[in-house]
Amino acid sequence: MGYSLLHALHISRQDMMNRLLDLDVVSNNLANVNTTAYKTSRSNFQELLSLQNRDGDMLKNTQVITRQGAITTSERSLDWAIEGEGFFQVELPDGTTGYTRDGQFQLDAERTLVTASGYRLIWDGEIPEDVIDVALLPDGTLQVLTTAGLQRDLGAIELATFANPSGLEARGTNTFVESDSSGAAQVGAPGSGSAGLVKAHAYEQSNVNIAEEMTGMISLQRAFQMSVRAFQQSDTMIGQAIHMRKG
Amino acid sequence: MIKGFYSAVTGMLVNANRQQLLSHNIANLQTPGFKQLLGTMEDFMHTPVTFPAGNITRSGIHPVGTLGLGVMSGPEVVDFTQGGMQTTGNPFDLAIQGEGFFHVRTPDGDRYTRDGRFLRDAEGSLVTIDGHAVLDDNGQPIQLEDGIAGISTDGTITVDGNDAGRLGLAAYENPRAALVRSEGNLYTALQDPQADATVQVAQGALEMSNSNPTQLMAQLVEVARAYEAAQQMVQNQDELLGKTISMLGRIG
Repeated sequence: MGYSLLHALHISRQDMMNRLLDLDVVSNNLANVNTTAYKTSRSNFQELLSLQNRDGDMLKNTQVITRQGAITTSERSLDWAIEGEGFFQVELPDGTTGYTRDGQFQLDAERTLVTASGYRLIWDGEIPEDVIDVALLPDGTLQVLTTAGLQRDLGAIELATFANPSGLEARGTNTFVESDSSGAAQVGAPGSGSAGLVKAHAYEQSNVNIAEEMTGMISLQRAFQMSVRAFQQSDTMIGQAIHMRKG
Repeated sequence: MIKGFYSAVTGMLVNANRQQLLSHNIANLQTPGFKQLLGTMEDFMHTPVTFPAGNITRSGIHPVGTLGLGVMSGPEVVDFTQGGMQTTGNPFDLAIQGEGFFHVRTPDGDRYTRDGRFLRDAEGSLVTIDGHAVLDDNGQPIQLEDGIAGISTDGTITVDGNDAGRLGLAAYENPRAALVRSEGNLYTALQDPQADATVQVAQGALEMSNSNPTQLMAQLVEVARAYEAAQQMVQNQDELLGKTISMLGRIG
């Protein structure tokens, strides 16, 4: 096989589509450069080659790059950052457990700790009515200052870790759910395993590296242009074959 | 006459094939570990040429030499030269510097690859992005405990500082002869690798495609012109044939 120019057209067309998908991934990363605890995604391209056919490439999957984002201090006592591989557990509207590293919590009217999207933090305690301030210790223990004074042993926050965190399924709003490729969540106190400690008055910045994303965008654009050229040329060659007979 | 017609067409066919091959190399410019395919061209068969029998001044068959019948695509070879390195900082992105291959297991059998995009899967095994198990130096899948993985230049793996085996690495003196290309950036081995492999591994980096964009664009131009020239030759042959039919033997 192999002489077909139409197949060459197909290879270039498929590659142009793949570059556009990659552009979507890069755009999403750049859009989230200031999103708390956002994890950048990478497109994994793979060669397509069957027995005798060269089929160009395919977008095999996108991979979440889980490297730690920079920790920034903040004034809020409900801003919590994780220094390690753990995730906070939250309750999603459909009742399933979601996982997030975005630790900018708020206290809602029912005195539950909720994420910016309103998902309840799963933990084994309750915030008392007359709360003034909350303090989180690195091991996850919560202490509360009320009008009656300091209350200890209010309960503790636990973190979830995964065998393959890059395999978690993104649910938007910075939340993930477990999947077959991530493995089941292993829940433990902060500091256990690879979960890492929690840090109050701090939040984790997005791990998007602008220079890296821009370089990626430039190279994908050039790769796209090259496939456009190859496509146009295959088209010209087909035209020449069609118009071979002069008169 | 007709011989020349078909010779010219072979020039078009071969260049159509090269165009497809170049499109494939271009499409894989951003595939880590990709080794570009190089097309080769070979002289097609030769045929003896003789004066036609019944020639006015001679009788019988008089050979005058041989005539080439055009060109054909030769075997495709893989260019195994080193691709550029790109650092990613991802702990399971590995790159081989210099010679050598990673050893992986697919449902179709063991394969070798330069594509070091690995992951720790849900069961803790080290796998490629296609889900194939990465093998250690004993040919067994690699199990990794939860923790911080480090991979040294000789392929030794540690998790939180504890030894966790060594990557299976293979080197071939002549990879072109020893390896056959198979699907998805993988190679099937025809020979056993050399035992004394001194393969260098870099962690947190990927080897990018080894095709050179400038070279690819130059080759595209070359193919376009060669195809065009061959197409012109076909047209010329056709024109001559037309003239032969319509004008030869016409008197006055």
